[in-house]
Amino acid sequence: MANRKEVFAPDVGGEVEIIEVLVSPGDSLNAEDALFTVESDKASMDIPAPFAGVVAELKVKVGDKINEGDLLALFEAAEAAAEPKAEAKAEPKAEPKVDAKPEPKAEAKPEPKQEPKAEAKPAAKAASKTIEVTVPDIGTDGEVDVIDVLVSVGDSIDAEAGLITVETDKATMDVPSSHAGTVESVAVKTGDKVKQGSLVITLKVADASADASSEASSDSSVDSSADSSSDSSAAESAASQPAANETRKQPPVPDHPMDRKARSEESVAYASPAVRRLAREFGVDLHKVNGSGRKQRIMKEDVQEFVKYELSRPKATASTNTSQGGGGLQVIAQPKVDFSKFGEIEQVPLTRIQKISGPNLHRNWVTIPHVTQFDEADITELEAFRKQENELQAKQKNGIKITPLVFIMKAAAKALRAYPVFNSSLAEDGESLIMKKYVHIGIAVDTPNGLVVPVIRDVDQKGIYQLSEELAEISAKARDGKLKATDMQGGCFSISSLGGIGGTAFTPIVNAPEVAILGVSKSDMKPQWNGKEFVPRLMLPLSLSYDHRVIDGAVAARFSVYLSAVLGDIRKLVL
Amino acid sequence: MSNQVNTQVVILGGGPGGYSAAFRAADLGLEAVIVERYNVLGGVCLNVGCIPSKALLHLAKHIEDAKHMGAEGVEFAAPKIDLDKIRKHKDEKVIGTLTGGLAQMAKMRKVQVVTGNGEFVSDKQLKVTDKDGKETLVNFEHAIIAAGSQSIKLPFVPHDDERIWDSTAALELRFIPERMLILGGGIIGLEMGTVYSALGATVDVVEMTDQLIPPADKDIMKAYMKMIKSKFDNIMLSTKAAKVEAKKDGIYVTFEGDKAPTDPVKYDAVLVAVGRAPNGKKLAAEKAGVKVTDRGFIEVDKQLRTNVKNIFAIGDIIGQPMLAHKAVHEGHVAAEVISGKKHYFDPKVIPSIAYTDPELAWAGLTEKEAKEQGIDYEVAVFPWSASGRAIAQGATDGMTKLLFDKNHRIIGGAMVGPNAGELLGEVCLAIEMGCDAEDIALTVHAHPTLHESIGLAAEVYEGSITDLPNKKAVKKK
Repeated sequence: MANRKEVFAPDVGGEVEIIEVLVSPGDSLNAEDALFTVESDKASMDIPAPFAGVVAELKVKVGDKINEGDLLALFEAAEAAAEPKAEAKAEPKAEPKVDAKPEPKAEAKPEPKQEPKAEAKPAAKAASKTIEVTVPDIGTDGEVDVIDVLVSVGDSIDAEAGLITVETDKATMDVPSSHAGTVESVAVKTGDKVKQGSLVITLKVADASADASSEASSDSSVDSSADSSSDSSAAESAASQPAANETRKQPPVPDHPMDRKARSEESVAYASPAVRRLAREFGVDLHKVNGSGRKQRIMKEDVQEFVKYELSRPKATASTNTSQGGGGLQVIAQPKVDFSKFGEIEQVPLTRIQKISGPNLHRNWVTIPHVTQFDEADITELEAFRKQENELQAKQKNGIKITPLVFIMKAAAKALRAYPVFNSSLAEDGESLIMKKYVHIGIAVDTPNGLVVPVIRDVDQKGIYQLSEELAEISAKARDGKLKATDMQGGCFSISSLGGIGGTAFTPIVNAPEVAILGVSKSDMKPQWNGKEFVPRLMLPLSLSYDHRVIDGAVAARFSVYLSAVLGDIRKLVL
Repeated sequence: MSNQVNTQVVILGGGPGGYSAAFRAADLGLEAVIVERYNVLGGVCLNVGCIPSKALLHLAKHIEDAKHMGAEGVEFAAPKIDLDKIRKHKDEKVIGTLTGGLAQMAKMRKVQVVTGNGEFVSDKQLKVTDKDGKETLVNFEHAIIAAGSQSIKLPFVPHDDERIWDSTAALELRFIPERMLILGGGIIGLEMGTVYSALGATVDVVEMTDQLIPPADKDIMKAYMKMIKSKFDNIMLSTKAAKVEAKKDGIYVTFEGDKAPTDPVKYDAVLVAVGRAPNGKKLAAEKAGVKVTDRGFIEVDKQLRTNVKNIFAIGDIIGQPMLAHKAVHEGHVAAEVISGKKHYFDPKVIPSIAYTDPELAWAGLTEKEAKEQGIDYEVAVFPWSASGRAIAQGATDGMTKLLFDKNHRIIGGAMVGPNAGELLGEVCLAIEMGCDAEDIALTVHAHPTLHESIGLAAEVYEGSITDLPNKKAVKKK
């Protein structure tokens, strides 16, 4: 029997909640197949399997909150999953092997990925049979629209070939074929609504006596061989193979509350029964209490101190202990308005990202005392240099184009170093500043689904070209909805550039726990007095919003001036 | 016109869980009424369970010990067994003392006991019918259901026959059968088997799974089997009784499975001890709106509250393990919650003990459970063959086994040997307090004792053991 391996939560960026369980015990998975969908305050994402194997046991369920390192599941990992693959490689996929090799575990269990109903009719020795291909779990509960049909009757298709394109609230995606074969009939047309289990096509496939192994083969031909090595590929987002990963089983039935003892929180905290009882009475999460006893054992006094401290301490932004967060604003309710009285209306739901980011924006807006400093940077020289450089690049056909934003990032990094208070966060207790020794900058990216802020790391240490490449890469990822939560974490400062669109200035909202954000508007040729005459200079409007609890107005003005100066003379970047 | 009683809390069932809940409620200033179908408090545990069986096991132990003293140079004559006297001692000295004490304590606390069968009328009222058919209505604000469990009866067994026993009948000591079968290799069956074996019966055990006391780990059971084997004539594992026929000259049992004898075997008595089923379906709980599962259990939250806000449930009726000590603690919490305290039932461990000879005791996780839960653990075993005290009292087959997690914290412990049950307390406390192996190893245990084996097992884990070859010793070059 294969040995059991534990699957732990990867870095999910703090505590996240499981909103969907995508696999069930018995499922045979490849490395990178999605196991769970979790939702953080920034986004929802899938947790991929770190290695291939058969799910032996799930340790978490919908609604659980998990942190990095938490045990999520047990896999019967192993050769079981690796072997059929290795074999399949040697064989062409249309020719599934008949001598079913040992590993019944891996083969008997249908691949959750693309095994809709194939195993239903085992055609004994027939040369071909007809199977139904249905819509796999596409990650939404309800119906989705078919926006394109990619195959027609008579088409000969490979396994994994796209059959139809559907549009969900998250993205558009192709529904892949589970098998190779010839399309016998197409059950849907553009505009239809489908959901999990809906019939898409019927497919005439070659001998099907060894479905499972043909699954494995089609699999390995699609996924890179990196799949079998666990960790190296773990970095790759599960979302980067959207269609392939989308077939899922229903989550298992949630367990009974009485069975949860093993994972209950207090079983982990280092505290005696009497202290656990005291903590219960005050609703104290023992994980937040520092133990003063021997080996950090939590004593009764520690719980009492914790309660006293929590009651008396000044609360930082977004108090972590109150669900209201904002501290209970007392405002009157919005009046109810029947808009249809005034004309035709249509109700459109907020996108997922809007739903998630809205409350965060609101919290930041009401809890952070914002001040916005406006300024203009003379980027005439910068633009001249940039264009010259881009022309050179074009000749060399390197294909890299530098944008002004990269220079702004670079200049901002320089300014953050010069004014480190901008590169800080308010400590949770509101009594100290956490100064960061690294410079990671978030870039607001407008995507079809909403605003996201991926983070570029160590901007101060990277060159203009490297930053350009990274920026292009991460923006593409953002627009494709493939950002991982970790891509959006760790920012020290954010830049929101609307320069490509227009406008003279705006007041961006600080992206807590950061303390400042730079808004960039459209540059414009303006007359500037040089002491003797007005000269035309290209001026870039900057709007710097900052948290006034942390940053004084004078410091902000200096930062702003410094930033403009660097942009005005980019030779300063190398100083 | 029936009697009416009004109370703040009614407790349905006067077993350890029920009376503990009632007494706790009374001590917290609440009016409490116990509804109990028998005319004594104490429930199964005191009257027909834990306590009388311990009284008999006490005798069995002495009989067995006396038998074995010959090898050490002290010879006793064969014991004379006076069943009437034993029965009287058990019923009057042991059970009588305890139930009398309970009645006294109920009186002191002004806890009223209404005798009869209780059934819900609504979520505010309980109807109690005594054996003469007289009804009493108890109007309550809160109820605690502590109605316990009963022995499971098997469909193919003629339970009406005098010679087919459940644990209650076995404790009655009707007669000493020449040949006896224990159906079910769990704790209750083995305890009664131990008693009857000591009293002179030839005892067989049949168990469907491949080991006695199925929850225990294999290594523990290996040590246990070595010692218990002599008490039983034939232990048939992976075997089941397929047919049980009562004939005039005996009970004929046909077996199926690995160790099944080919022909039916004749027994003078058969004890059916295949488990206990909750009494959830006997209470008309649906009239109060309380949900009862198909199997008769009542589900509760961590404050022992059922789906009905003012009705709580504790003990056997809410689930395994069906143990008095679990019920008592649950009873306390339920009473405390009713009185307004924000208490929860959240112990880390509930200990289990088989009071056979030798005793087998465990608490916390077994190795099996640790594996199932995917917990990274390490085992440390101290064999009693290395314990001076165990050698001195002829208990060298015993062992003490501790489980530690990757943070070196104790997560489970098991021991087998005489007095193992008495040693378990230290392990329970260590787990609740979150002890590291080091904490246990550095606690000075008295020498020579059996409980010393716990400290020594921790030393095995720590690599500081000197009473055994040390696998973790520094290798010399």
